[in-house]
Amino acid sequence: MQRMFMRRTGLALLLMLAATALTFWLVTAAPGNVAALIAERAAGAGADGAMIQKIADDLGLNDPLPVRYVRWLGDALTGDFGVSIRTGKPMAEEFSARIPMTLTLLAGGGVLALTLSLVMGIAGAASNGGVVDRALHGMALVGASTPNFFVAALLVIVFSVWLGWVPTFGVSGFTSWLMPWFTIALFPASVLARVVRVNLQDTMSRPFATTGFAKGLTRRAVLLREALPNIAIPYMTTFGAQFTLMIIGAIVVERVFGLAGVGSFFIEAIRFRDFIGMQAILTLFVVFFVSVNLFVDLLAMLADPRLRRPRKA
Amino acid sequence: MFKLDRRSFLAGTAGFSFLSTLPSIVLADAHGDTLRVAIAGETGDLDLLQNVSTLSSYSAVFDALIHYGPGGTLEPGLATAWKVADDGLSISFDLREGVTFSDGTPFDATAAEWNLKRWMGVADFSWIGIADAYDSIVIDTPNKITVKLKRQVPAALLELTIVRPVRFLSPKAAAGQPIGTGPWIVESHSSTETVLTRNDAYWGEKPAFARMELKVVPDELARANALRAGELDVIGGDWVAPLSPRRAKALEGEGMTIVAEPGTATTILGFSPKSPMMQDKAVRDAIFLGIDRAAVAAVLFEGYADPTVDIFPATVPTAGSRTPVPARDVAAAQAALTAGGWAGDAAGWTKDGMALEIAFLVSEESFPGSRRIAEMIQGMLTEVGVKANIETVDNATMHDRRPKFDYDLTFFATYGAPYDPHGSLGASFVTASDTGPDGKIYIHPDLDVLVATALETGGDAREGAMQAVYDWLRDNTAACPLVVVQRIWAVNPRVTGFSLPVTDYDLPFKGITLG
Repeated sequence: MQRMFMRRTGLALLLMLAATALTFWLVTAAPGNVAALIAERAAGAGADGAMIQKIADDLGLNDPLPVRYVRWLGDALTGDFGVSIRTGKPMAEEFSARIPMTLTLLAGGGVLALTLSLVMGIAGAASNGGVVDRALHGMALVGASTPNFFVAALLVIVFSVWLGWVPTFGVSGFTSWLMPWFTIALFPASVLARVVRVNLQDTMSRPFATTGFAKGLTRRAVLLREALPNIAIPYMTTFGAQFTLMIIGAIVVERVFGLAGVGSFFIEAIRFRDFIGMQAILTLFVVFFVSVNLFVDLLAMLADPRLRRPRKA
Repeated sequence: MFKLDRRSFLAGTAGFSFLSTLPSIVLADAHGDTLRVAIAGETGDLDLLQNVSTLSSYSAVFDALIHYGPGGTLEPGLATAWKVADDGLSISFDLREGVTFSDGTPFDATAAEWNLKRWMGVADFSWIGIADAYDSIVIDTPNKITVKLKRQVPAALLELTIVRPVRFLSPKAAAGQPIGTGPWIVESHSSTETVLTRNDAYWGEKPAFARMELKVVPDELARANALRAGELDVIGGDWVAPLSPRRAKALEGEGMTIVAEPGTATTILGFSPKSPMMQDKAVRDAIFLGIDRAAVAAVLFEGYADPTVDIFPATVPTAGSRTPVPARDVAAAQAALTAGGWAGDAAGWTKDGMALEIAFLVSEESFPGSRRIAEMIQGMLTEVGVKANIETVDNATMHDRRPKFDYDLTFFATYGAPYDPHGSLGASFVTASDTGPDGKIYIHPDLDVLVATALETGGDAREGAMQAVYDWLRDNTAACPLVVVQRIWAVNPRVTGFSLPVTDYDLPFKGITLG
């Protein structure tokens, strides 16, 4: 068991390494000159060729790519992700200011997605082909196919502009989080609701469910006591995948709702060709993706003994 | 048991509707003495020497010796009077007396000298003429200084009105502390907002309200919605929180007040001076004549733009004489091509076996809305017989290709007030200048001489020297000015007395009262 945990963790670390190397190559291959940008920040229109060359030499930008990557990785491992070209602040400082905002968004969105998906999925299964089931099916389809920027705009128009219930942007108390959370949760909640509904339908036709009915249990009792625990593993793994994807949604949601998180910083970093900022945030995304998936894998292994068995040829 | 009849349903609906309006009423009342202005990006720490902070907030906190007035007039700031020596090699400033920085430090000749020496004569600021020509500073009296120069800088006084680094910081301010003499004091700043409080010790006319909140809202639609919801009072300004003409039109239809005035920056179609095709004046003439500027202004800018063929608008000082905007003339455009040795018609043109086909470089990121303008121009040029291939690229690619003149046709904009005309002329029309990723609108050895002369000429001769540059550019069809986009702001009904700030690098607060 412990060996398997170690193996999975080792693989995850290797994956992170490969992903950071790939993103490093992609970012450096993108058009634009980091030295010129730094010179421009320092001297505005006064940045000249000599200044740019000096900055490039000082930063080792003329060194071979593998040398630069190893140097960057060494710094990153000590928490030094460089200084943002756009804001002039160390990226570690930017992270400490912005990660709590993004985490709050993801955590709230995650809880909402979890709750909504379970409620919708179970209600659909309980209805089993009835009006509620069909209505929830339709809602899930709409939720899964509506882009989040559209959802955000719609929510703002209705709940802020027309009704004035919640602020349109920024963080000013609990209510200001409601629309961002709902926007970011809608897609995963819709997908997960279908996962719950379909898996419950499948599980309800298994022999143990039939046994439950034979023992005189009601449909609701069989659904909640017998079927629901059995869909935990597929639900957990799908939830993990959807939760990681929420960070991509955060890029749009943070910008639309004026939240100063990592996602909105990423957009600005791209706009201003802040390569150092981009690389740091992509690394953060990689760590987030791999860590969440690793956590879910380990959790699934803990929950299901079958997953802990070594594979046989 | 409760029974839902028609009367109780209507009463319930009415009550619910009233209750639903309460939060917005409460929200509106909670900001009585505070003006809430949208900014597209965080202000930063307003370091005067670093090109990082948002440019629009400096003038609220820091004063300059001279302030930029309407139409480029020079108005007293921390200097009440100034005198340029007859030889142009020294400028004396009478400093305003009784002024203190917001930390209580007096503003005097010593503080002025300390500030000026932070950037004058410093290589990083050699792009500013007066910094490059700096020789020394003499303190004449506790309230008078003289800046001595190595050579004449005719635009020196205008240069002292720019956003940074020319403004004055308290010599006792700790690193990262924006302490100025301006009408506002920075109470706090974060990545989501900057809070300014009125400087009650300000030497000039004090704002009518005590507090200003600069809210960071990067998304334009979100800004418009916040204005609609009454969470923001003012949005707009190219360097504050841009408002597109289309959005302004929508807001106007919803009862918001839209304030628009002629702009100070010209949108220009630039011809690559390195492209063989664009070296042919006949091609440049054909493009110049084949575009309907009025249609571009009316359709794409919803009327919030003024068609032009001049490099600088009249809102900029020494912008030269005005040229009437010609109507689009397809026949004249085709005649220009024929006269230039091209053979063909609306179906296409050839010369020496070369087809008339141009690469039109566009970046929505660099210039929002440019793709639509490019498509409209493409259609107009097609009728002339000029095939324009639009290449849409990202910001980084645009910034890479523009300095290399790796295009035939692309968009540029002049800097606008308070940087023009000397700013754009000295950067975008001179071979030797290093404009980095911004590229250049047009360069030519003859133009270099004319621009250098214009920038070095002071006094009464300056206007003529500038006009010579404009004439050369027009005679050679060196660039294709299109429109001057208006400066657009939208204002919440609770704001009264709103007038546009002098430049789009300034925040609006003068004359404003809050209802």
